[in-house]
Amino acid sequence: MGKTILTAKHITKLFPGMKALDDVDFDLQEGEVHILVGENGAGKSTLSKCILGAYQAEEGEIIYQGEPVKFSGTKDALARGIAAVYQENSLVPYLNAAQNIFLNREYRTAAGLLDSKRMEKEAKDLLVSLNCDYINIKKPVKMLSTAEQQMVEIAKALSFKPKIIVFDEPTSSLSDREVESLFEQIHRMKAEGIGIIYVSHRMQEFPLIGDRITVLRDGRKIRTVGINDCTNEELVNMMVGRDVSQVYVRSENPYKEEALRVDNLYDRSGRVQGVSMVVHKGEIVGLAGLVGAGRTETAETIFGIRPMASGEIYVYGKKVQPKNPKQAAKIGIGLVSEDRKTQGLALRQSIAENIEAVSWEKDFPGFFVSGRKVEERALKYKDNLRIMTTSVRKACQYLSGGNQQKVVLGKWLNYDPDILIFDEPTRGIDVGAKMEIYALMDKLATEGKAIIMISSELPEIIGMTDCMYVMHEGRISGKLDRSEYSQERIGQLMMIGQEGE
Amino acid sequence: MNAKGLFQRIRESKVYYSLIGLIALLIISSVAAPNFLSLNNFITIFRQASILLILSAGLTAVLVTGNMDLSVGATAGLIGCIVAQLIKTGMNVAVATLIGLMIGALVGVCNGLLAGILPGFVATYATNWVMTGLGIVVMHGQVIYDLPPSFTQLGVGYIGPIPNLVIFATIVVVIIYILMSMTTFGRHLYQYGANPLAARYAAVSVRTVMLSAYILCGICAGFAGMLMTARLNAADAAMGSAYGMQTVAAAVVGGTSLAGGEGGILGTVIGALILTIIVNVMNLLGIPSYAQGLVVGAVIIGMVLFDINSRIRREKKLDA
Repeated sequence: MGKTILTAKHITKLFPGMKALDDVDFDLQEGEVHILVGENGAGKSTLSKCILGAYQAEEGEIIYQGEPVKFSGTKDALARGIAAVYQENSLVPYLNAAQNIFLNREYRTAAGLLDSKRMEKEAKDLLVSLNCDYINIKKPVKMLSTAEQQMVEIAKALSFKPKIIVFDEPTSSLSDREVESLFEQIHRMKAEGIGIIYVSHRMQEFPLIGDRITVLRDGRKIRTVGINDCTNEELVNMMVGRDVSQVYVRSENPYKEEALRVDNLYDRSGRVQGVSMVVHKGEIVGLAGLVGAGRTETAETIFGIRPMASGEIYVYGKKVQPKNPKQAAKIGIGLVSEDRKTQGLALRQSIAENIEAVSWEKDFPGFFVSGRKVEERALKYKDNLRIMTTSVRKACQYLSGGNQQKVVLGKWLNYDPDILIFDEPTRGIDVGAKMEIYALMDKLATEGKAIIMISSELPEIIGMTDCMYVMHEGRISGKLDRSEYSQERIGQLMMIGQEGE
Repeated sequence: MNAKGLFQRIRESKVYYSLIGLIALLIISSVAAPNFLSLNNFITIFRQASILLILSAGLTAVLVTGNMDLSVGATAGLIGCIVAQLIKTGMNVAVATLIGLMIGALVGVCNGLLAGILPGFVATYATNWVMTGLGIVVMHGQVIYDLPPSFTQLGVGYIGPIPNLVIFATIVVVIIYILMSMTTFGRHLYQYGANPLAARYAAVSVRTVMLSAYILCGICAGFAGMLMTARLNAADAAMGSAYGMQTVAAAVVGGTSLAGGEGGILGTVIGALILTIIVNVMNLLGIPSYAQGLVVGAVIIGMVLFDINSRIRREKKLDA
């Protein structure tokens, strides 16, 4: 390991009414991957933003390459070699990959016009070096998948030839193959002496790339440990500050009745090709697969948001054909969608309004709305789901990811459908909130809901489900009962669509 | 509720900043023009604001869904002309009025369907021209006057000291206020405007919501058009055109966001009053009409800037 490239000493960052960071020390060495973990609100992003120059700390100092520095902003930091790859990408949707990478520093020809050829060539080279030459650099990035956009974002950061890169949840929208090539790149960057700050919730990734881990909680540094000096369980305990021996809970299922049957379902775009599955009352059924395998599309077809081409859906034995989400909800099917910010919530509306979002007509059949009842209901879900907020009148945009997800859940709990589809219910939220959501799902199943759980995180789908359908390229490649679960079998079904010999 | 509680509620309400603007305008006006503060002048202001109020009340429902209707002025003009023609043929006033409202609803359906496939701004800019053109066709390029008193009374009559127009405007505003803030229909308007995609995932029938907003707006435009004709005791194809952008201005000055999901009818009432008072006081002061446009434009810019900045500051406070 090389010499220290960055040291942050006694960093204190104040936000009105709270200390976001309280006397935090941090250091990064050349060629090191230093992982920052902690629950949402623990201060990970605030610390990385102080390093990136997006925030200026009230107290403490940052020493970069041996000298104390004060960056005036992210541009300043970037010019000195500190780049960032954010979870939510900052690309301009209508520009292509090359235009995005060279945004604001375009090459020009002798005549002063844009030198597209040169930019496209260099962009191509960058993407090839990231093993992403399949990305079409001439397409507007909004036509690329989330994962592809993420890789463009990384290519953009690398094009600045940085000495430090901050990754903020880079893998949350990537498929396994893309995660693998990202990690390859991270290893290559390490070998070149680039220091990497890596913010993530995904503990299974830590041993693959990390060197040291710093745990933050409530704005304070708890400890910095070497990657091999600490078990996952100890890490979680440090993060949440209490003992968490049991992450997943799954109770016995007392019911037998068939709640949902899907027969040979096709959607019109060809993303869902002949999916058949059965979900019983009180059961949590997993739908596993790679990103793009057609899991979300299957859920959306059942929910009526995506037009169905053929196939049959039965709810408690009765044949149904939801043509839109309204009909699906009436039948008793709810979908907790994948993207809470664009699909799940109206961020500018209040918590109370979002909790009513599906249920206005159901809760107020007399056409007139009672503001008092809306607020009472919201308070009930605030307590039951432990949504951390000062008021249910607050707009959802001010909540942390975990609390936003709880509002989305509250929205469907309030409507109370018999069948609930959870699409990536714990993406991007912290361990504490995850555990609460697991416990809630278990409780709902025990109360007699039929649940489908879509997840890209194998440990959670293995831990939470009674049986599992694995999808591969739009088809069900296999069904496994809980007793048959193993990472290898599921992995094979996901990756190659069949079990090996 | 004690005075402090009431003040607190006003402070937290969404129309707080527009209200400050209105009060400031009232103070400035009464200092600048000594004859401003009189009951008669206030009745005049309300009467002058009535038609603008009815039009912009309907428009607010559309704006809240994040859509736009640029055709309200032209629609009002067209329906005013049609109703005048119908009455001239000897049709019963009540029947003609009803037909006028139904045509308004029909225009709303057309606008709503078009706005489903085109940006609402473009779609209604086009229908705006269509309505203006139809108006000229209906009038054969002429002006009609001398309508029966049973009809004109709607626009020029009084009940006690209060002009009929003011009573009609009040009724429309109250109905739309109730619809928008106390019913499931209103909640769906805001929900759709705040995030159309999330509304769809929340099992809201988004097409119905959008269509009903446009229908409501069309009916208001129809009603306003008839009152316009009754007030003038004449119909002219061009009479609505002046209202086109003024209605948008009234809603926006009142704090309704063109992005949808925010604003409401109370703000629009304040906005319409502000726009009317400015013109009223300039007339009292004898400011020539060619200079008035300049002031109106400056006030619109100032009010909206003030509103946006104050909101941002308040949101920052909430964020912390």
